[in-house]
Amino acid sequence: MPNGIHSVNVPLDIKTIWDFVSEMNNWAPLVPGYIEHEILSENQSTWKFKGDLGFMKKTVKLQIDIKEWNEPSQVLFDLKGLSENFSGGGYFEAEVIDEHTTKMTGHLDITAGGMMGPMINGILKNFVPQTAQELTDAIVEKLLELNSVSQ
Amino acid sequence: MPAKKPNQWHEEVDVIVLGTGGAAFTAAILAADQGADVLMLEKANQIGGTTAFSGGVPWIPVNRYMKEAGIEDTREDAIAFLERLTLGKVPDPAYIEIYVDNGHKMIDYLHENTPVRFEMPVPFNEYYGHVDEALKKGTRSLDPEPFDLNLVGEWGSLIRQNPLFPPLTLAEGGAIGGVDFNKIAERMENNIVTMGRSLIASLLKGALDRDIKIKNNTPGKELVLDDNGAVIGVVAEDEAGEKIYIGARKGVVLASGGYEWNQELVKTFLKAPITHPMSPPGNEGDGLIMAMEAGAALGNMSEAWWYPSMQDPTMEYEDRIMNQTGSGRMGPNSIIVNKYGKRFVHEGTTYNDLPRAFYEYDPVKLEYPNEAPVWMVFDQQLKDSQMIITMMPGEDAPDWLDRANTLAELADIIGVDAEGLEQSVARWNAQCEQGKDTDFHRGTTQFENLLADGGGNAEANLGKIEKAPFYAVPVNLGALGTNGGPRIDENGQVISLRGNKIEGLYAAGNAAMGILGTAYAGAGGTIGPAMTVGYLAGKHVGSVPARNIKSEQSVN
Repeated sequence: MPNGIHSVNVPLDIKTIWDFVSEMNNWAPLVPGYIEHEILSENQSTWKFKGDLGFMKKTVKLQIDIKEWNEPSQVLFDLKGLSENFSGGGYFEAEVIDEHTTKMTGHLDITAGGMMGPMINGILKNFVPQTAQELTDAIVEKLLELNSVSQ
Repeated sequence: MPAKKPNQWHEEVDVIVLGTGGAAFTAAILAADQGADVLMLEKANQIGGTTAFSGGVPWIPVNRYMKEAGIEDTREDAIAFLERLTLGKVPDPAYIEIYVDNGHKMIDYLHENTPVRFEMPVPFNEYYGHVDEALKKGTRSLDPEPFDLNLVGEWGSLIRQNPLFPPLTLAEGGAIGGVDFNKIAERMENNIVTMGRSLIASLLKGALDRDIKIKNNTPGKELVLDDNGAVIGVVAEDEAGEKIYIGARKGVVLASGGYEWNQELVKTFLKAPITHPMSPPGNEGDGLIMAMEAGAALGNMSEAWWYPSMQDPTMEYEDRIMNQTGSGRMGPNSIIVNKYGKRFVHEGTTYNDLPRAFYEYDPVKLEYPNEAPVWMVFDQQLKDSQMIITMMPGEDAPDWLDRANTLAELADIIGVDAEGLEQSVARWNAQCEQGKDTDFHRGTTQFENLLADGGGNAEANLGKIEKAPFYAVPVNLGALGTNGGPRIDENGQVISLRGNKIEGLYAAGNAAMGILGTAYAGAGGTIGPAMTVGYLAGKHVGSVPARNIKSEQSVN
C-alpha cells in the first residue's frame, strides 16, 4: 500500500495549529496540484487536483470523508477516487512538545484498485510520500507566515 | 546564417552528434569505433529523443533474429515489397537497396559490439500482410529485449519515458493493450525497461562503454562553416545559456529529430498542419534549420509519420495535454465520421495511412470535408469490450467523454450533422449484418487485427453501433514526427542545393530526408531507416581524415 508520513516541529502552540487545520478552506489551496474543492458538509468534500507523477501529470477527482474530528489534536479521514479507481485515508496529528512548540504530522495512504492497480500502485509508491511531505511542509510554512514566525 | 570560425574553440572533438535518439546513438557508436573522439549534444534535459518515446522497434529486412526464429526472408522480397509500398515516390530510389543491404548489418554490428539486443515480437505480423508482396509469416520488426536500467547508473533517470507505454515488450502488449499489470509492477520495482527506453538505454550503455561524451541541456544552435563551406563545428548553448564553440575535426551529424513542433516550418512544408504532434516537444527542426543555412538540398519535405491522435484531457506531458495513440478505432461497434456525419476512410487502416484522408479536397464545395477533428463514434458494446484511449472496459465513462442516448443527441453535442450520422450508422449496421463493408473494406487488412494470422475479418472488425449510450471522441491530425530534411547520399552525407556533398555534414533519422518517401513499412518503419542511416553516417564520418581546424584565420 503506497503511503507516506511526515512530521515537523512547529514553533506554535497546538490551538493555533488546530484553528488553521480544522478549517479546510485554509489549507485546501496548499494541496500539491490543487485545482478546486467543494465542501459538501461538515464531514464531506470533493476535490480536484493535478498529480505530478514526474513523467506525466494527471488530473483526478476524489472525495474526502472526515471520520473523526478530535480537537485539538487529530483529524482522521477516508478518501476515494471519483474519476479513478483508488481509495485510502490519512490523518493530521498535532502533539504538544512544549507550550510554544507542536509536532505536526501528516499521513496519507492511497491504494489503486482494478486491473491497473498493481501498476498504478508502483507509480504511487513515490508519489504518495512525496505528497504527504509537500502538503505538511506547505501547511507549516503557511502557519509560520500567518503568525509572523521567521524560519 | 551559419557561424564562422572563432578565434578559439571552447572544445575540439572529431565528431559532434546533435541529438540522442536511435539514429544519433548509432552514429556516435559507429564513429567512435572508427577511432573518433565523439561528443553528443542534447537540447533537452532528458535523453533519448523520439526513439525513447516510441516502441523502440526497428523494421529490418533479412535480420539475424528472423533467421534464428526460422522466418524466411530474402533481399529480393524485401526490395519488391518496398518498391510496392513506395510507388516510385522516394527521394532517391537507390536508397531502397542501400537500406535493405545495410539494415541487417547495422543490427549485426550492434549485437556483436554493444548490449543492444532484440527478440522477435511473436505473434506480431506485418502491417501490410494482406499485400501480395508482403512477408506472410512473422514480421521484420524487432522488439528490444527488456533492459536493466541500473546498468547505466544515474543516466537511467534521464531517459525519456512515454507515460502510455508500460515496461512490457511489444510482444507482451506494451503498445497494444491486453497487458499483465502484475508484470508491469514487478518490472517497475526492479527498474527494468522495454521498448524505446530499452533501446536507448542499451545504446547509451554502448556509448558510455566507449567514453562517448554526452551533454544534455546543450542545444546545437548553428553550424560553423569554413571559407569553403565545409562544416567544421557547432555553436551550442551551455546550461548557463552561454554560447560555446565546439570544433569538429571530422564532421557533424544532425540527428536532432523532426520539425513537427515548429508550426512555422509545418505550415511551410506540410500539406496539412500537424495540430497534435505526439513526439517530445523539443522537435522544432533545429537540424533542418542548420542544414538549410549551410545550403543543403531538401527531400521528402511534405511528409510526416502521420497518426490519428486522440486525447484524454486529464493526462499531461510536459505541461500540455498529451496527444495519444488512442485505441479502439479498429474494433467493431465504431466508425469515424466527418462534420457531415459521413464515413470517409477505412477506420482500421494503419496510423500512417488513415490521416491521408483528412486532407482530401472537395473541388466543388471548395473545402476539406474531412479536416480534423473528425469523430470516432461508438457504442456501449465497444466501451465494455475494449480499451479506448485510457478507458478500461468495465470502468465508468469519464466526465470528459461525450455521450448521449441517441445518435441525434450525440451529433448535436459534437457538432456534426445529425441526419448524416444516423444515415451512416444505419448503413454501417446494414453492412455489418451482411458481413461486408462495401464502402471502405473494414475487416480486410492485416493491420486492423494485427496479432491474428490473416488479419482483419468480419467477426473481429465489423459490429453494429446499436447499444446506447453512444459515445464520441475527437480524432486529430497527429504525427510521430516529420519525415523530411536535408538530402543525403549513401553515407548519410548532406548534399547541397548545387548537388555537391557538404564536407563535414551528415544527417540521419527524422532530421534527414525520409529514405522511403511516404511509406511506413511496418512497426519500426521509422526507427529502422533512422538507425541504418545513423550506422552509415557514423561509419563514414568516423573514418574520414581529421582536418586541421585550428584558427589560422579568425573572425571575432
